[in-house]
Amino acid sequence: METQTAGTLAHRPSVARRRMRAETRLGWMLVTPALALLAAVYLYPAVMTLLFSFSRISLSELSIEGLVGLQYYRAALNNEAFIATVLRTLKFGFTIVVLTLVISFPIALLLHRPFFGRGIVRTAVLLPWAIPPVVSSVLWGQMFHAEAGFINGLIRAFGGEPRIWLGDPNLAFYSIIVVEVWRAIPLATLFMLAGLSTLPDSIYEAATIDGATKWQQFRHLTLPLMQPVVIPIVIFQFIFSMKAFDSIFVLTRGGPVQSTTTLNYLAYQQWFQQLRMGQSAATAYILLLLTLVVIGVMGLVRWAAERRMGGAGR
Amino acid sequence: MSMSRQRRWEQIFTYVGAAVVFLLIVFPMYGLVLTSIQEEDDIRSPDLDLIPRYILTDHYREVLREGHIVPIREAMGNSLMVSVATAVITLLFAFPATYALTRLKLWGSKAILGALMSIYLFPVMLFVAPLYVKAVQFGLIDTYIGLIIPYVAFSLPFSIWLLKGFLEGIPVEIEEAAHLDGCTPWQLFAHIVIPLMRPGIFAVMLMVFILAWTEFLTPLLFTRDIKILTVQLGLYRSTFDIKIGQMAAAAVLTALPVVLLTAFFQRIITQAITAVVDK
Repeated sequence: METQTAGTLAHRPSVARRRMRAETRLGWMLVTPALALLAAVYLYPAVMTLLFSFSRISLSELSIEGLVGLQYYRAALNNEAFIATVLRTLKFGFTIVVLTLVISFPIALLLHRPFFGRGIVRTAVLLPWAIPPVVSSVLWGQMFHAEAGFINGLIRAFGGEPRIWLGDPNLAFYSIIVVEVWRAIPLATLFMLAGLSTLPDSIYEAATIDGATKWQQFRHLTLPLMQPVVIPIVIFQFIFSMKAFDSIFVLTRGGPVQSTTTLNYLAYQQWFQQLRMGQSAATAYILLLLTLVVIGVMGLVRWAAERRMGGAGR
Repeated sequence: MSMSRQRRWEQIFTYVGAAVVFLLIVFPMYGLVLTSIQEEDDIRSPDLDLIPRYILTDHYREVLREGHIVPIREAMGNSLMVSVATAVITLLFAFPATYALTRLKLWGSKAILGALMSIYLFPVMLFVAPLYVKAVQFGLIDTYIGLIIPYVAFSLPFSIWLLKGFLEGIPVEIEEAAHLDGCTPWQLFAHIVIPLMRPGIFAVMLMVFILAWTEFLTPLLFTRDIKILTVQLGLYRSTFDIKIGQMAAAAVLTALPVVLLTAFFQRIITQAITAVVDK
């Protein structure tokens, strides 16, 4: 676009070239501050962490004393508790993704159709996104509270057996998942709503004329057409779950007995509580690798699905 | 007749569904507010009381009192300052960068834009540990600037993407025409681009403010002094040594500014989120 202006203004190519060079120089001047800041806050630390994961680190200086090669990685992969944490992290991520989809999709379908009071429900659905993570942790901490919590209150009211939600290893894991899913619903719902609004009305009209029931329309039109929208949400949500920290830190501190320790939380504990910096750096990189592998596989699935759909269309 | 009956069922179904969704999302928030206005004894009693019989403002007054063990009022002041500063500084970095990356001939701008979004893929633990070391070395622990630098960096990638969407919505022809009329680049920027970009600028500042207000890990690691306490850290500290009612009041106060902003500017935020995620 910019070259067009340059072309009309400059009759000789050398002038155009000079102008372009000036434009490029201005461009770099404008981008450099942002890129420099990002390099300082992301690139430099990421490289340092990579180095840390291969090094012996002096505790007093926080500097590299010597190289240890793959020692931390080997130690991690030979440790049963670490492998259990990897599996727990995956289970954590996939459970959050599936529950978020299963809950958000009906909400999006509901909010897609006009009804009286829809605006209020839409605002309500957006709110968990805005609630600060520490607040949502405190809020759910009170919901799960063994004696004063509303959940046990409801259970008691219906004559059930109250539980110690955050104190029982199995329940604590799912309690954290509840908090994370509640927080994830707004984004997923918004995104699906955006997807639903792009579906053309004409195909539904055609389907109705052809005598398709509402259920058939949903099953054979809405679901397959939403597939390209759902896969990015899955990838997005999986990445977010891998980074979950605040709820775990505030509610359970990774316990009881490690039941809510994900790789991200483990990396935090290793660095800031156990002062095992090198091991923590290795954990963080293993987490990155795990995330990349999972979303790589999801990307492949998306590609395959698109190819199949494209083939069917032709 | 069967048609109208079907429609009626659909309507009932819709309203029941809306009620369920509303309850699912709102009930935990309602529970928090309810806890914050009840006597400590009533909160702790095992009986379920979903409708308050009285409204108690003591917890709020206590939490906001000067010299309270968790100084939420001072923390709100600190957070307000840090969040506003972060929003302004982020814009100062993001706006020129966005302009260059979308409008100017720049080698590799596509790659840079792609790399920006991929930053969010990386676990935060990859960055914070060496940053912490540097913050200690440079004496940035317990300073505003020590919080603002990471906040700005966390906000930059999505801010640039968000601004890019708004900038692409402005026809280049306007800029070209101004250029032909003899506008200097600076005039062009000040009198044409920035006024047209006002909605984008507002959306970015809103999103960055909310992000900075809700951030927890950075202050947890980079601040210790109670003088520089931010709201989220303050609320976290309140989970140790104060009563449930006060903790709920502190949580409501901490959430209130961003909840109000979100409810008020719901449309802008919704658009901003879908625009960024869409990429």
